Amino acid sequence: MSWRVGVDIGGTFTDVALVDEETGQIGIAKVPTTPRDFGQGVVQALTIALGEHDIAASNVSLLSHATTVVTNAILEGKGANAMLVSTKGFRDVLELRRSSRSSLYDMFQDAPGLLIPRYCRLEVDERLDAAGDVVTSLDEADIDAVIAFAKDNEIEAIAVSLMFSFLNDVHERIIGEKLRAALPHIPVFLSSEVLPEIREFERASTTAVCAYVGPILESYLRRLEGATGEMGLPGLYVMGSSGGVFDVGEGLKMPAMAIESGPAAGVIAAAMIGRQLDKPNLLSFDMGGTTAKASLIKDGVVETTSEYEVGGDGNANRWMNGTGHPIRVPVIDLAEVSAGGGSIAWIDPGGALKVGPQSAGAEPGPVCYDAGGTRPTVTDCNLALGYLDSEALLAGRLAIRADKAMTAIEEHLASPLGIGVDEAAAGVLNVVNAAMAEALRIVSVERGHDAREFSLVAFGGAGPMHAAELAAELGIREVIVPPIPGGFSALGLVATDLKRDYVKTHFISLDQADTDAVSAAFSEMEASAQRMLRAAKIPEQDWVLERAADLRYGRQAYELTIPAQTGAVTTETLDQLARLFHEKHRQTYGHDNPDETIQLVNLRVTAIGRFENIELSYTGKTEGSSLKGSRSVWFRQGGRCDCAVHDCARLGIGTEVVGPAVIEAVDTTIVIPPGWRARMNPTGHILMENDNE
Amino acid sequence: MNDATAIRTDAATFEVVKNALYAAAEEMKIVLAKTAYSPLLKVAGDYSCGLFDADGEMIAQGPDLPIHLGSMPDAVKAVIQAFGTFEEGDVFIHNDPYFGGSHLPDVNIVSPSFHKGDLLGFACVRAHWPDIGSATPGSYGAVTEVFGEGLRLPPIRLYEAGVLNQGVDAIIFTNVRTPDERRGDMNAQIAANRRGSARLSELAEKYGVDTLRRIMVEVMDYSEIMMRKFLAELPDGEGSFEDFCDGDGILEPGEEDDETFTIRMHAIKSGDTLAVDFTGSDPQVAGPMNAPLSVTASGIYTAVKMVVDPNGMIPPNSGCWRAITVTAPEASVVNASFPAPVVYANHEMSHRVSDMLFGALYSFLPERVMACSQGTSSVLTLGGIDYRSGEPYVSYESIKGGFGARPTKDGINCVAAGISNMMNTPIEVLEMSFPVRVEEYSVLTDSGGAGQFRGGCGARRVWRVLGNVTRGAVCCERSKSPPFGLAGGQAGSPMRISLEDPDGGIRHPLSKGAFTVPADGRIVFEVPGSGGYGPASERDPASLADDLKNGYVSEEAARRDYGIKS
Repeated sequence: MSWRVGVDIGGTFTDVALVDEETGQIGIAKVPTTPRDFGQGVVQALTIALGEHDIAASNVSLLSHATTVVTNAILEGKGANAMLVSTKGFRDVLELRRSSRSSLYDMFQDAPGLLIPRYCRLEVDERLDAAGDVVTSLDEADIDAVIAFAKDNEIEAIAVSLMFSFLNDVHERIIGEKLRAALPHIPVFLSSEVLPEIREFERASTTAVCAYVGPILESYLRRLEGATGEMGLPGLYVMGSSGGVFDVGEGLKMPAMAIESGPAAGVIAAAMIGRQLDKPNLLSFDMGGTTAKASLIKDGVVETTSEYEVGGDGNANRWMNGTGHPIRVPVIDLAEVSAGGGSIAWIDPGGALKVGPQSAGAEPGPVCYDAGGTRPTVTDCNLALGYLDSEALLAGRLAIRADKAMTAIEEHLASPLGIGVDEAAAGVLNVVNAAMAEALRIVSVERGHDAREFSLVAFGGAGPMHAAELAAELGIREVIVPPIPGGFSALGLVATDLKRDYVKTHFISLDQADTDAVSAAFSEMEASAQRMLRAAKIPEQDWVLERAADLRYGRQAYELTIPAQTGAVTTETLDQLARLFHEKHRQTYGHDNPDETIQLVNLRVTAIGRFENIELSYTGKTEGSSLKGSRSVWFRQGGRCDCAVHDCARLGIGTEVVGPAVIEAVDTTIVIPPGWRARMNPTGHILMENDNE
Repeated sequence: MNDATAIRTDAATFEVVKNALYAAAEEMKIVLAKTAYSPLLKVAGDYSCGLFDADGEMIAQGPDLPIHLGSMPDAVKAVIQAFGTFEEGDVFIHNDPYFGGSHLPDVNIVSPSFHKGDLLGFACVRAHWPDIGSATPGSYGAVTEVFGEGLRLPPIRLYEAGVLNQGVDAIIFTNVRTPDERRGDMNAQIAANRRGSARLSELAEKYGVDTLRRIMVEVMDYSEIMMRKFLAELPDGEGSFEDFCDGDGILEPGEEDDETFTIRMHAIKSGDTLAVDFTGSDPQVAGPMNAPLSVTASGIYTAVKMVVDPNGMIPPNSGCWRAITVTAPEASVVNASFPAPVVYANHEMSHRVSDMLFGALYSFLPERVMACSQGTSSVLTLGGIDYRSGEPYVSYESIKGGFGARPTKDGINCVAAGISNMMNTPIEVLEMSFPVRVEEYSVLTDSGGAGQFRGGCGARRVWRVLGNVTRGAVCCERSKSPPFGLAGGQAGSPMRISLEDPDGGIRHPLSKGAFTVPADGRIVFEVPGSGGYGPASERDPASLADDLKNGYVSEEAARRDYGIKS
C-alpha cells in the first residue's frame, strides 16, 4: 500500500486528503488552522490523518503541501528586512510603479504598499543600452557600499534588478558573486536569474517579492521539512501558483512561485477529475464563506496568466493596476469575487439590492447562527428559501434560528422594497449568482471561450448549493460535484505533477529571428530544467519539457503565449508559430493582421516531472433508500414546493435523484432545481444534468 | 424624489444588467489595450470606452479616464445629429472640438449597436493618437488657431454597412505621421466597439430589447438619484477660488515671458444641487489653452465625484451630472469659441478647474476636499528619425507628480491624480522603441508641500537624445503657480523644465511649445509635488523622522519648513 498525502492550510481549517495510489480510496481529516505557527497545525493534522486511517509513515509515497505563508507575509507586512540594488538613477523603480492609481475617485485611497523602504534601496553606477551593450561599466566600489549597508542595517535578503539585465546579465552576475561571497548567510536574488524578462518595474517587483518572502518561506519550509522528516515522511513538495509542485530547494530559489498555492490546488483537483471522467473542458467554481473563485480548464489544460498582483485590493478586477505587487510568474488564471455565504445583503440609497462586499465572516456569522449577526447574509437567504436545513447545517452542532434569519430579511430587505420574504431572499441569490457568473464569464466568455461547451465543477462548502442556477445562467448543461467538496483543494495537491517555468526574453522580429539563436536559448533553459528534474530525483522517462513563445504584432504591447515544437528550431518552427499566433489573436480579439510583422518577445520552457495519475474510487452504500424526508423549498421555477431531501452518504452508485430535490452531505448541500437530474457515478462524483430545453 | 420609484425593473435584474453594462465597457478597454499599437494607448492607457443609448447619453464608462466623463456624450450626439439613420456595420470617426470632440489628438470612433435590426445604442472609444498631423510631431505645437493643430475631422462615416470609405481613409492616413501605427490604433478602437456592441446585443437577446432599453434609462436615473442623495447629505454653502496659469505658450510681440492669465470660480451647493460659475475668468487666449465648455465640465465632474462619492458607489454615466450645472462666459479660457486653439487646455485646464473646486469648497467642506495635486499632465513629445532604423518616430509621454494631501492622510508620491489616470511607459520598452536613453527617473526630494499631512512628492525624469536631432514639445502647467496647500499646508514644488545641450549650455523653454534638442542633449523634467494639508508645525514627529530617513524631506527643508533644530 502506498498513499499520497496533501495538506492544505485554509483560513479556518487545515485539510488533509489521503489517496491510496492503488485503489483510489480517499480519506480526509480536518483540524483547526493554527495561525501563530502554521507548521504546528500541519504536523497535528498529519498525525491525526495517518492515525485515523492507520497508515504508517513509511507507506506515504508523496507528501505535498499548499501554504499561505508567502501570501500572508505580504498581506500582513511581515516579510524580511530586504534591500534593493538598482542601476544609478532608478532606485525608486518600486515606488514609481506604473503611475496609475487603482481607484479613480477615492480621495482617501492609500498609497500602494512598499516592500522595501526607500533608505534600503541603493544604486550602483552602471548602464546597459537597449541592445544589451554596456554604456557605463560597473563601478565595483558601489558593491562594497551595498555590503557595508547590509551589515550595518541587519538586512536579511537582497534583490538586485538592473536596467536591461534581461538582455545581458554581466553586471548582475558580478554583483551576485561579490555579495554572495561577502554575505554568505543572506539570500541574494538576481532579476536575471529570477525573471530575465523585459519591463523594469515588473521584473524588479518580482525580484523584490522573492527577497521579501524568501527568508520566511525558508525558515518555515526547513522547519516543516524537519518535522515531517522526523515523522518518517518523504521529502516535502510545495504547490506553486501555476498548479505544479516543486521541492523545497527549488522553491527557495524563486519564492514568488508559492503565491496562491491553495487556490491553485483546487483548480488542479478539478483538472484531475476531468481526466478521470474524460471531460477535458471544465469551469471550476470554488465558493466558500467570503470569496468565490472561478477558473477554466480547456482540453485538460489549466489556463495561467502572468499579469498578477499579490497583496493590495485583490484580483477580482484583474485588469486594474492595483495596489499590490506584480509578480511575473505564471499564476493560474483565477477570477475572484468577494461573495460567499457570509456576504451581507443590503439596499443602497438608490434603491438597488446589493450583496457584499461586507461579510459577516466567522464572527458574528450569519443572523441564523444567533451569535450577534443582525444583517441578512447569503446563508440566511439560503436557509429562508429552504435550501439549507436548520438541523443539518454544521451537522447539527449549532442551534440554527431560521426565525431570526426571516425577521432580518423582512426588516432589512423585503419591507423596504415592498415585497415578500421569499422574493427578497431570491433576489439576493440572483444578485450573488450574477456576481459569481461574472467571475465565470471573465475566465470563459471574455477569453473567447463559449461557456456552454464546458461542465461546471462545483466545490467549497457553498459551491454545490449555487451551482445549478449558475450553470443555467451561463447555459451550461452539466454540473459535477466531486467527492469531499469541502476539502477538495487538498486533493489537488496529490493529483499534480512537479512543475517549474523558465522564461528568457528574446526580443527580435520573428521573420529576422536566427533559428540557431532561438534553439540555443531554448536549450539553455532546458539544461536548467533537466538539472532541476534530476535533483528532484524524477526518473528520466517521466520528464516532459514544453516550449512556448510570447508573440505580438510588432507595435502592440501585450503578448499571446503560443506553444512551440520541440527539437531543433527551423524556419518551419517559426512559420508555425506565426500561423498559430494569427489564429489565437483572431480567437481572442476578433481580428488578425496576417500581413503584419510579428515580434518575438519571450521564450518559455515548462519542465514537468510526471507523477503517475491517480483514479479516485468510491464504495457506494446500496442498502436502503437515500430519501430521508421532505421540506418546503422555494424554486425560481414555480415558487414553494414540497421537496425531497436525500442523504448523500446513503446514495448508491447509479441512483438518480430528480429535481426538485436537495442532497445533504457532511460538508455541503447540493440543490437540484426542477428540470435537473442528479446521479451518483461509480467514482463518487454526483453528475447533474439540465433537462430544460 | 422617492428612493426606489425611478427604477421599475425588479431590483435584482436591474443590478445584474447594470453590472453587465459596466463589464462590457471594461471589456472594450481590454480589447483596446491589448491590440493597440502606440505605447500611449497600449501601455499608458490614454483612452476611454463607453456605451451609449440611442440618444447619445452615456450609459456606462469603463474604468478609464475621468477627463472624458462630461464630453464623451457630445461625441456620440454629434454623430447622431450629423447622420440620423444608421446601419449595421457603420463606423464613424471624428475629432473636432467644435463638433463634440475634446482636442484633435483625441479621435472618437463611434459604432451603432444593433440587435436583430433594432438600434440599441452606440459604442464609442475616444483614444489619444500620438500624432494627428500639424507642423509639430505629436501635434502639441503652440499655434493660434485650431486650423494649425492638425487634421480636423467632423463626424464622417468611415465604414458604411461594413464597407470602408477609401477616400476618407486615404485622407486620414496621408495627414498623420507614422500612419501604420495609427491604423493599428484605429483597428483596435473598432475592435473594442465591436466587442461592446456584441455584449449589448447579447443582453437584448436575453432580457428583450424593451427591457434593456428601459434599464439603460434607469441606470442613468439611478446615478442621478444617488448623486442627489449624497449631495443633500452635505451641508449647504458657497465659496470662491482664484488661480492663474503659466501662459498659453505664445510670446506676443514685446513679451519676455509668457503672460499669465486668471481663472475665477464660484461654487454654490444648495440642497441636492451644485452650481459652478466661472464669471470673471479671462477671455480666451491666443495659444491652445482654451477649453471647450464640456472639457471644463469634465474637470468639475471629476472633482465632484471625488468629494461626493469617494467610495465609488455612483456608476459614472450621463445621469450623474443632472444635479450639477457649470456655466462660463462665452469666448473665455474656460468656454472656447471657434476657431480658438485648444490642444493644451484639454488636460491642463481640466486639471486646473478640478483642483480649484477643492479650494472653492474648502470653506464649508474642509473634511471632504484635498490639497492641489500635480495640476498638469507634464507632456513631452519627441519626433524625428531613429538613427538605428532610419525610420521616423513620434513618442508621447506624460509624467506624474504628487497626489494632494488629504485632511487625514499624506498625499501620494508620483501617481496620476484628478482627471488623469495614465500609466508611464516602461523605460525598457521606451528605449527599445525610440532613440532615447532615460538617465534618471526618481522621486524628487522636498517636492511635497510641507504640512501636518505632507503633499505627495513629484518626480524627476531625465532623457538623453541619441543619434539624431529631435524635435520636442512640452505641455506643462504650474511652473509659476505651484500646487496650493489647504488648511495652512504649504504649496508643492513647481514644474521645472531644462534643456542641457552637449556643449554645456542650459536652456529653460516655456512650459508649453516646441523646441529642438541636438543629439546627445538632455531634457530634464521636475514634475510638481502636491500641496500639503494642515500646518507643518503639527506634523507627527515620527512621520517627519520617517520622511527624513527615506529622503522624502531633506534636513535643510526640515529646518526651514518644519522648524526642526539640528
